[in-house]
Amino acid sequence: MRNALLIAVREFVGNAQTRGFWFGILLVPLLGIIASQVPLLLARKGTPTRHFALVDATGAGRGAGVVLEHLQSVEQRREYLHFREWLVPRWGSADPLPGVDRGAPSWKDLEERVAPLLKADAGRFSPPDPLHRRVPLPEGLEWRGGLPEFEERLRVWMREGRLLRVDGADEPVPLFAVAILLEGDSSNAPPILRFWSANQADHRLRDRMADALSRDHRKREYARLGMDPGTVARVEGLEAQVIDLNPRKAMGEERVGVADQLRQWAPSAFVYLLWIAVFSVSQMLLNSLIEERSNRVLEVLLSSVTPLELMVGKLIGVAAVGVVMALAWIGSLVVVTFGMIHTSGAAAIAPDSIVSRLPIELATLLGDSWLLPAFALYFLLGYLFYSGVILALGSTCSDLKEAQNFTGVITLFMMVPLVSITFIPKDPNGPVATVLSWIPPYTPFVMMNRVAAGPPMRDVIGTLSLLVLSDVAVLWACARIFKTAVLRTGQPASLAQLARWVAGRF
Amino acid sequence: MSAALELRQVSKSFGRFHAVRDLSMSVPRGSVYGFLGPNGAGKTTSLRMILGMLLPDSGELSVLGSPSAMAVRGRVGYLPEEKGLYRNMTAAAVIAYFATLKGLPGGIARARARELLIRYGLGDFADKKVETLSKGMGQKVQVLASIAHDPELVLFDEPFSGLDPVNQEVLEEVLDDLKARGCTILFSTHVMAHAERLCDRLLILGGGRRLFEGTPSEARALLPVVITLETLEPLPDWGGFPGVRASATEGSGRWRLELEPGASSASVLEACFERSLRLRRFEVREPDLHEVFVHLVGPEAREARQR
Repeated sequence: MRNALLIAVREFVGNAQTRGFWFGILLVPLLGIIASQVPLLLARKGTPTRHFALVDATGAGRGAGVVLEHLQSVEQRREYLHFREWLVPRWGSADPLPGVDRGAPSWKDLEERVAPLLKADAGRFSPPDPLHRRVPLPEGLEWRGGLPEFEERLRVWMREGRLLRVDGADEPVPLFAVAILLEGDSSNAPPILRFWSANQADHRLRDRMADALSRDHRKREYARLGMDPGTVARVEGLEAQVIDLNPRKAMGEERVGVADQLRQWAPSAFVYLLWIAVFSVSQMLLNSLIEERSNRVLEVLLSSVTPLELMVGKLIGVAAVGVVMALAWIGSLVVVTFGMIHTSGAAAIAPDSIVSRLPIELATLLGDSWLLPAFALYFLLGYLFYSGVILALGSTCSDLKEAQNFTGVITLFMMVPLVSITFIPKDPNGPVATVLSWIPPYTPFVMMNRVAAGPPMRDVIGTLSLLVLSDVAVLWACARIFKTAVLRTGQPASLAQLARWVAGRF
Repeated sequence: MSAALELRQVSKSFGRFHAVRDLSMSVPRGSVYGFLGPNGAGKTTSLRMILGMLLPDSGELSVLGSPSAMAVRGRVGYLPEEKGLYRNMTAAAVIAYFATLKGLPGGIARARARELLIRYGLGDFADKKVETLSKGMGQKVQVLASIAHDPELVLFDEPFSGLDPVNQEVLEEVLDDLKARGCTILFSTHVMAHAERLCDRLLILGGGRRLFEGTPSEARALLPVVITLETLEPLPDWGGFPGVRASATEGSGRWRLELEPGASSASVLEACFERSLRLRRFEVREPDLHEVFVHLVGPEAREARQR
């Protein structure tokens, strides 16, 4: 055992000294930061102003006013949120403007009110560029000759990708969209919006226009039918009170909260971590074995230790690397989440939202749930299964190129639980989840994903027992292959040969 | 002198290939024992069986009195033919690591590693990573790693291969030091000069079989002493010369005489004088180990190559 531990320590230190180890440690928090910050950053800075033209061909000419008024109101709300975000560090409070959120008043009015309370070096707020800006129809594209003739010219104009000069922009800009408002098919039918745009990914402008037109039409219809629009608006604002309750929770605490939502989805995140951890440490193990085979250290080692000691030492050493990586990931995710909440000003956007309570709930979840113990257990058992297989196959290969033929197949095999991550939380105790749980190579990932749903005890104990037995069987068979193959040279062993070695026939 | 290592009728096959057949040998304690043979003769397989990495199909082994080298692995050192080290470890760390695997406590292993590196001229490279060392230095580090735990028996598989003449001298110095403190050394080599100079006894292996076992002088005695002489007499009668078992003319009065084992070249010279032969040349050449080796394994080696 002493020798196995010595090998484990060297394996750990050897791996911890590689760039790959540190890259692996930093990768997950880095991805976390990128995944959470990039969309915010893009939302703040990355979306250029979209220029659009609007043709109101409704007889009454009311549609354009409705649409523009709504777009202006949305823009005012957006400026207000940016203003709040700007305000947080200059104010010193997480919620500098309590109670005015829903109204979204003009930031200009608020700026005057809060100016005396700001720090001396607060500076001046500059609003973001508008998301959408209306421009007149370009020259040569005037509305004339009816819809078909106009749209024919419009299609040609837009397909040519022409640019137009607008006030306030140094360079010519592309025309993002042209919206044509038409009367409905019948006298009381809602108006028609013909929205021309080459960009089929960004639907915000179209949706806002449609929303404005629909609401306006509904208001007029209520009025035509003799209903008071104010009363209708008040009635439409009424919503049923929904109280989520979970019968699995303790009496008096059945209400589903933020922590419960986290508890529902956190296992999926842990399955990702588990998958990455198992996959990356198995790869480390393979690299280390192939390195020792190719640089002939293996023979020296085997003059000092038995193949079993070598195998156990390597398994322990690389498992320790995986544990450190996983702990670093979980720890750094908590730290990054705390950091983001306190530095990004997200609290100002949604002071009572799940986001602001996320760190506390996350810490609580990790502290009092089965997630961490389950993660540790399934990591260990999953790791033993896959690393045993990889170690045995790796011992039959002389170089990494040969070994990659095997790892390619194993990677494909390991993709199944990754694909299952998204659908298992929706039906964690359904037939697919249950069947996959009983397949030992998938058990760690699928059961980890089912942890929150309280799977039947027979599933927990049964799959766990089967997994432990499979681990023992795999390690036993792999140890036999490893012992035989590790000093062998030449071509990789065939499947029949591997079977003979497992059976003890050489 | 008791044996540090004994093999009795040991055989090992891989499928239909017989790597070692009925090999018996006995390495006396404190001796330097040469393990000679062409490629594919079964040297490495034999060494792996001695070390317990391979189990023999039949026969018995005794390593330092134990049937398994694993049981006495802390007292055995091993240098494989194909040398390799952890490239990202320092020279001192890698020597200390292998010494700890052999049972030395960590602190002592580290001190011993530095001591060895200084003694054999690598003190300045103790904290350099192996990947920065030259090939020769790396091999020296590996030799030191195999003896850092102060073994009683060392097995060196082709220790001189790849070493320049200077480093070969250093390795010979290492072997001398080991021998001086009573360590038993078994090493395989292709270089007969090393075997001749260093070995107390040697074993020549061919096709997995033992072809010879004994001292270097006993090996040399396997081939006749050859005398080349030139005389003015046209056709001397070599049959009456003592100890001459064969003669052949090489033209122009030059003759090649092969002596019987144990026969003295001085007796032949004396007989020449007695017969008043007018000698222009009298050259005695004793066989060296290289010739003995080629003589013994030549057919085997050629057969192996053809197989």
